[in-house]
Amino acid sequence: MALLGFGLAYAGFLGLSLAMDRHHAELLGGRPATARRRLLRGLGWGLLGLSLLPCLALWGTGIGLVSWLGLLTAAGLGLILLIPYAPRLALWLGPLLPLAGLLAWPILVA
Amino acid sequence: MRQGFRQCMSWLHIWSGLLVGWILFAVFLTGTASYFRNEISAWMRPELQAAAPGAEPVRLAIETLQRTAPNSPSWIISPPDERGGELRVFWREPGARRFATAVLDPATGEPVRTRESLGGNFFYRFHFELHMAPLWGRWIVGFCAMMMLVAIISGIVTHRRIFADFFTFRPGKGAGRSWLDAHNALGVLALPYHLMITYTGLITLMVMYMPWGIQAAYQGDRQAFVNDVFGTAALVKRANQPAPLTPIAPLLDEATRRWGGPPGRIDVQQPGDASAVIRMTRRDAESISANPQTLTFDGLRGTLLSASGEAAAAAATRGVAYGLHLGRFASPLLRGLFFLSGLAGTAMVATGLVLWAAKHRHRHARNGRAGFGLRLVEALNLATIAGLPTAMFGFLWANRLLPLHLADRAEWEVRCFFLIWALAGLQAVLWPGLRSWAAQFGAAALLGLLLPVLNLLTTDRHLGASLPAGDWAMAGTDLVAAGLGLLLGYLAWRLVHRAPARQALRGARLARAEGA
Repeated sequence: MALLGFGLAYAGFLGLSLAMDRHHAELLGGRPATARRRLLRGLGWGLLGLSLLPCLALWGTGIGLVSWLGLLTAAGLGLILLIPYAPRLALWLGPLLPLAGLLAWPILVA
Repeated sequence: MRQGFRQCMSWLHIWSGLLVGWILFAVFLTGTASYFRNEISAWMRPELQAAAPGAEPVRLAIETLQRTAPNSPSWIISPPDERGGELRVFWREPGARRFATAVLDPATGEPVRTRESLGGNFFYRFHFELHMAPLWGRWIVGFCAMMMLVAIISGIVTHRRIFADFFTFRPGKGAGRSWLDAHNALGVLALPYHLMITYTGLITLMVMYMPWGIQAAYQGDRQAFVNDVFGTAALVKRANQPAPLTPIAPLLDEATRRWGGPPGRIDVQQPGDASAVIRMTRRDAESISANPQTLTFDGLRGTLLSASGEAAAAAATRGVAYGLHLGRFASPLLRGLFFLSGLAGTAMVATGLVLWAAKHRHRHARNGRAGFGLRLVEALNLATIAGLPTAMFGFLWANRLLPLHLADRAEWEVRCFFLIWALAGLQAVLWPGLRSWAAQFGAAALLGLLLPVLNLLTTDRHLGASLPAGDWAMAGTDLVAAGLGLLLGYLAWRLVHRAPARQALRGARLARAEGA
């Protein structure tokens, strides 16, 4: 479930970054239209919020919050490194990481 | 006015960061290593096999202490846990001021002869004492932590595009730009961690920095304060009637039943006397707070006398802050995240220092010769940022290479650490420049990458044995060292292959600019 939290946080950050002109141009090309920008931003914040839930479920409030902040840092730094060096991978990991987290959930209950 | 305020904050950020940057780098790096203090300690004592937790080691330890230290007014037993700790006992000869200590073999209870080493404790203590007299070291580190807090807050204020540049990292866009991007990203993304660790770090030593409140409230009775905060109890008075100690196993069972896990520490007061008391302290791995919960038992009948639980609000707050800073509660994953954030903090300090030097080097390239200040900063940067990791790996190498029965062996390991660091400093002064940076990063990379090989050659607990056995303290230290070696090697490689081209380019551009 930690992987799910990490994946959701990564996807959330990816959404927020795609809502910005510079990163949209780097990853998808072109400027996002206003509606699309709004959608990406909403999706990003939503996913970031969702990523808190697995942490709380796994570790309880205190340690859950601390772990969540740690996961956010790790996900954000990972995304920042990937955008210049491996932009396609950065994009693909957006849906793949949460998916892997969902699939791994029943296997690694921890 | 707004511009003025920002500039003012920028000035504050640059100078508060620069002046204490080198110490902060060392504090960050050794502190980050200290998240794996137990593992490093275990790695540095390869003769000690990882012990299984349980009641048996404690029983054996008590037997040994009854034989070797029957007159000690108190014993402290710290049993092994699942992080591969050791079975360590402390006792005090009557009249002696300090506790004596020994590591026991958990299978036999006999003292083990193991190589003398400070283990991970060296990094841990360096982290807040800098290997100085404790009082001096702690005051200096505290001052630097305060400056760090100033630098963080002024850094947030001065960071003009904190949201717009949130995900921005532009490598290869000119040294100044890339370093600034990296500095910002490392600072902003791990900001919760940086604020938490700096603030809670000050709290861990608050009693020392600001003792006046305690002096007033407790009328100078320091021990009473310590008892309130740490939940320790005053030593019971000896009755001077010999009496046998109750068996320990049922008490351990009771503690395990209440806490869901065995205690982290067992204190026996006045053993062998009618007044004996046995006290168990809950391991701090199960909640964030480091305020201990304890159970006190009658030492003769084994009945529960008292259970101290949740502390009062202020003590609980301090306990949470202290616990957060040490991260002992953390699961392996969370400890890994703390480690990552600690590395991010280390890199943030390093990029800040390099950025200052790069900026001023650029300015001086136009004006001619570099001034003394710039040369000093550059030498200190090299000696700290590249020299310290080299020395830290060197410390681990010294542990394996020094003769086993050398007198003052533990002290010699520390001397090797400082010797390597001093050599790095010497190189930084005599041969400043990128070539020396590459050489030192390269040396650190080799020391890190080859650490598993050294372990293979000098012990029988190499990766081939430790990985299948699930011996994570050994395997983890080997693997993390090799991983960090890889990272440092990449840095060295980049310095060798990319820098000259860019420098030549910049030089040509400058020459053209000057010619025009």
